[in-house]
Amino acid sequence: MTTVRVRNATKSFGRTTALDDVDLDAGRGVTGLLGPNGAGKTTLLRIMATVLAPDRGTVTLLGRDPQRPDDRTRIRERLGYLPQDAGFHRGFTVFEFIDYVAILKQMTDRRARHDEVRRVIELTGLSPVSGKRIRALSGGMRRRVGLAQALLGDPDLLVLDEPTVGLDPEQRLRFREMISHAGEGRTVVLSSHQTEDIAALCTRIAVFHRGRVRFTGTPGELTAQAAGRVWAGTQRSAAALAAWRTGDGVYRNVGDPPAGAELIPPTLEDAYLLLMGENELEVTHS
Amino acid sequence: MTGWHLDPEAIRRYAEGAAPPDLAASAEAHLMKCATCREAIASQVDTRRVEAIWHEVADRVDAPRPSLPERMLTRLGVGEATARLVAATPTLRGPWLLGIAAVLALSAGAAQADERLLRMFLVAAPLGPLAGVAVAFAGGLDPTREIGLATPYPGLRLLLIRTTAVLAVTVPIVAAAGLMLPGSHWVAAAWLLPTAGLTCAALALTARMTPVVAVGVVATAWVLVTTATALAGDLDLTSGIGAQLFWLAVTAGGGLWLVATRDTVTIKLGRSA
Repeated sequence: MTTVRVRNATKSFGRTTALDDVDLDAGRGVTGLLGPNGAGKTTLLRIMATVLAPDRGTVTLLGRDPQRPDDRTRIRERLGYLPQDAGFHRGFTVFEFIDYVAILKQMTDRRARHDEVRRVIELTGLSPVSGKRIRALSGGMRRRVGLAQALLGDPDLLVLDEPTVGLDPEQRLRFREMISHAGEGRTVVLSSHQTEDIAALCTRIAVFHRGRVRFTGTPGELTAQAAGRVWAGTQRSAAALAAWRTGDGVYRNVGDPPAGAELIPPTLEDAYLLLMGENELEVTHS
Repeated sequence: MTGWHLDPEAIRRYAEGAAPPDLAASAEAHLMKCATCREAIASQVDTRRVEAIWHEVADRVDAPRPSLPERMLTRLGVGEATARLVAATPTLRGPWLLGIAAVLALSAGAAQADERLLRMFLVAAPLGPLAGVAVAFAGGLDPTREIGLATPYPGLRLLLIRTTAVLAVTVPIVAAAGLMLPGSHWVAAAWLLPTAGLTCAALALTARMTPVVAVGVVATAWVLVTTATALAGDLDLTSGIGAQLFWLAVTAGGGLWLVATRDTVTIKLGRSA
């Protein structure tokens, strides 16, 4: 079942086109939006969170039209949203802040609301710091607070903008686990420019470049696009669209391999960089 | 272990929560020491009632003590949820309020020396509360604005709660500054109705634009219309009887419009919400 349906969505800010004729579907499970900074991921997620409306095109969320006030309220009752730069009232404790968002989510019965606040605090491993002021928490802990508020009310649609940004490797692993768990039985749409996160979490991905969707499919399908187009070498190849040096000093080159190149199995990151390189080339030549 | 046990009737009444206080106190003291009676009572207690009691205990223990402003508000009869929303209003922060107080105190102090500055006080006074309303919804000052926009909380209700809170705090500050002015106290209070009218006009405009822009529009219009005449010595536009009646009408009209359209109009707290 399709929970999120976006058709021909276009959004501009002044002269900058952030989204350009975007189509996207998302259903149960975790869908990842991958792309460099400024590719349009955040704009699309803000549209999915009903915070922003497209200039053109249609959006259907949970079977409803967010442009209609009544539908928008019904969507928001079943929506959880973690913005990219989630802010907090830093003087509030963790419990108070999540309780504040629960009030905004119209949880009117105090006892039931407090139960729900406790549930998401436990779910995100925040119980030991529940009474601490947010200003005293580390960046990783604050990110958890952001996720906890998004999980309030067990929403059917969870929109997470760069949920793992700024986290250390251990925190990222724990976050992936929480998000993966959250994706069971509901729709999660998240953005990242970390291919490892996308590979670990997402059943479907959409790759964005300069406001347009350049690929939609599974991580395996994206990786397969780079088969036969990744080769190793002791130096950067002139034929490569993109190349980088790995920890052991070997260059991974992506593009059209020269004759005799030592082909190696592609990773999701190879395929992503190949796609980005091809699109940059397309933009340069157009 | 004890030598006596609660009789079945006492157990039943205690389990149902129907025991009088003396029996309940005796039963509780006994149950602390008697495993046999604890076992006997366990099978008779309604599990839903136990869960409700447990929730209440957990809530009392786990929920943090509300902050001082929230406790004060709840003592004044404000609901605990509304008190939390008020506590999160960006305008109600010490530095911002001190800023308003300092500017107005300086204006009032300066008016002691020059009567033209008294007229300027009447022009400037409504701008303090109006700016407070704008700050309460300014994206850069409300750190949770983006999260709030994606929640189903009614925009009009949040707008009114925050506006009321801002006015409740800023109006006394302006009033205190007004009392420092030379001359009649009537003149010092003449800004109240224009403030109410301008605030209602700004609230009404939030159906078309964000609160920050709405406040900007009415504040600019107010300054453009009143400054020149006030400086020239004509106070009719700010504090004359005609002006006071006009602002009373605007306040009443704006209030009625808000009441009449509360279920049909979408308040634009954000750029597109």
